[in-house]
Amino acid sequence: MPAESWAAEWVRLTAFAYRNLIMARRNVFFVFELTFWPGVAMLSHGLLTRFLDLTPEMTAFILVGTIALSAVQVCQLDVAYAVLFDIWSKSMKHQFLTPVRVHHLALGSWLVGVGRGVVVWALMALIGGRAFGFDFIGAGPLRVVLFLLGCFLTALVIGLLVCALVVLFGTRAETSAWAAVNFFVMLAGIYYPISVLPGWVQAISAAIPLTYFLDGIRAGYGFPPASAYPFATGFALSLLYVILAHWALAAAITRSRRTGLLLKLSE
Amino acid sequence: MPVAPLAVEARDLAKTFRSGWLRRRETAALRGASLRVPRGAIFGLLGPNGAGKTTLLSILATLLLPDSGSATILGHDVVRDAFAIRRRLNMASGNASFVWSLRPAEVLSFYGRLYGLHGRALRRRVGELLERFELLPHLKTEYNELSTGLKQRLALAKALLNDPEVLFLDEPTLGLDPDVSIRIRSQIGELRRERGTTIILTTHYMREAEELCDRIAFIKSGRILAEGSADELKRQIRIGDVVALRLDPAVPAGLAELPGVLSVQARGERVECTVDSSEKRLPDILKWLCDRGVLVRDCQVREPDLEEVFVELAR
Repeated sequence: MPAESWAAEWVRLTAFAYRNLIMARRNVFFVFELTFWPGVAMLSHGLLTRFLDLTPEMTAFILVGTIALSAVQVCQLDVAYAVLFDIWSKSMKHQFLTPVRVHHLALGSWLVGVGRGVVVWALMALIGGRAFGFDFIGAGPLRVVLFLLGCFLTALVIGLLVCALVVLFGTRAETSAWAAVNFFVMLAGIYYPISVLPGWVQAISAAIPLTYFLDGIRAGYGFPPASAYPFATGFALSLLYVILAHWALAAAITRSRRTGLLLKLSE
Repeated sequence: MPVAPLAVEARDLAKTFRSGWLRRRETAALRGASLRVPRGAIFGLLGPNGAGKTTLLSILATLLLPDSGSATILGHDVVRDAFAIRRRLNMASGNASFVWSLRPAEVLSFYGRLYGLHGRALRRRVGELLERFELLPHLKTEYNELSTGLKQRLALAKALLNDPEVLFLDEPTLGLDPDVSIRIRSQIGELRRERGTTIILTTHYMREAEELCDRIAFIKSGRILAEGSADELKRQIRIGDVVALRLDPAVPAGLAELPGVLSVQARGERVECTVDSSEKRLPDILKWLCDRGVLVRDCQVREPDLEEVFVELAR
């Protein structure tokens, strides 16, 4: 591919980042997403750990789950916004009239999601540290970086699946943008080890990358991981799911062009 | 690379939409539509609501996949080479919508980036289009606060971001004030003159089609019923010429029975006779009236306008 094409590729990718950034800057709703809900989650869960008189390690176990949920939620919403903004404004067809591909819309909006996810993590770590003595880099800086990267990859997969559902089923699937992440983190052992789940649910949990990323960071707080290489397993699964979710969204767009839903979602 | 002589070529395009429970309800939107549009032409698609105009345009714009048939834009297949085509075409609709919170320059910058424009080139293009469509005084206004006319101008500006070789306009003057419509029509004409852009437009306004289009196709129930220039269509459809007469006494009995007279209608002081050919029938009519002592105070002959052709075809 010539140099100019690479530049055009990058520009297409940043188009979605540009739009998400403008929307995030202009709407008070996005400030709530970034500060209010994560802040409330950290404070309420932190207070719960105080009430239950948990050890610093157990407090970290719980609060790591709280951070994971908020970071994944905020990041995956940004990916979903690549399609949701157009659904809400009925402007879907204009974006698919351009030479844009799935990776442009997914990665462009994911970049903003990663940025917002890091802000959420920093805010929650700050509140957790100040209010409840939570040592947010107690697991080691490398583990924290790998954990956050794992959370953001999980968000990319969920975001792509939400986009695919919305493109396939239209506004009926819109609520999946908020519901999907809760379902996945529940199965991934957000506030508990997956060993407390029924056997058949554990089999599903084992297929979710976030399970391994939570396992990996909790190992840094003294909880033995269930698998030998939790981060490696998590990243391998994430890569597989990113490819599958990318394919699912591309297939959903093609189907939507066949059924005419792409036009119904526009104007 | 050889240049395709035709900008658009569609052969037997068919599309049926399925809806309802188990997708059992079927609506045939296109039933074998074919058309050929040379480069640089303005081609009009006319037809009643639900005729299949937007479906045809959407297939050509790569937004919809046909069930059968084929179509090429600038020599590229609309199904197989959709990404290659999208760089070279664009579309604007009469009821366009963009992300509500974005301002005009932001809308153009977003879509400009999707076409690969960046840096100074993007800023220059956005600036040019804002100026050309007189959007500069509205830079601080969010999309949902723009008037219908301004939204329409923004949609047209967006459609020119990539300097398209083929432009689809789906009812571009729908719901606009006459002065805005005139301005938009003049901008459409300019595009063809200055850049040689091939334009395919759908419209409900016959005057617009007659004024802008080199060729027009009438589409109804998913089929193209007639195609040609406005004059060719009027001749093809043969709905006859109108001879309008002001007579004294008003309507003599027996006029409708004359050979070649298709119908006679009284309109106020006038009588309108639709005849198969005014050249052939007017002398006979005048002689017949004269023989009966009817005074002809005024006589005008006019060809049917496109609207009458449309009504005839849409029947």
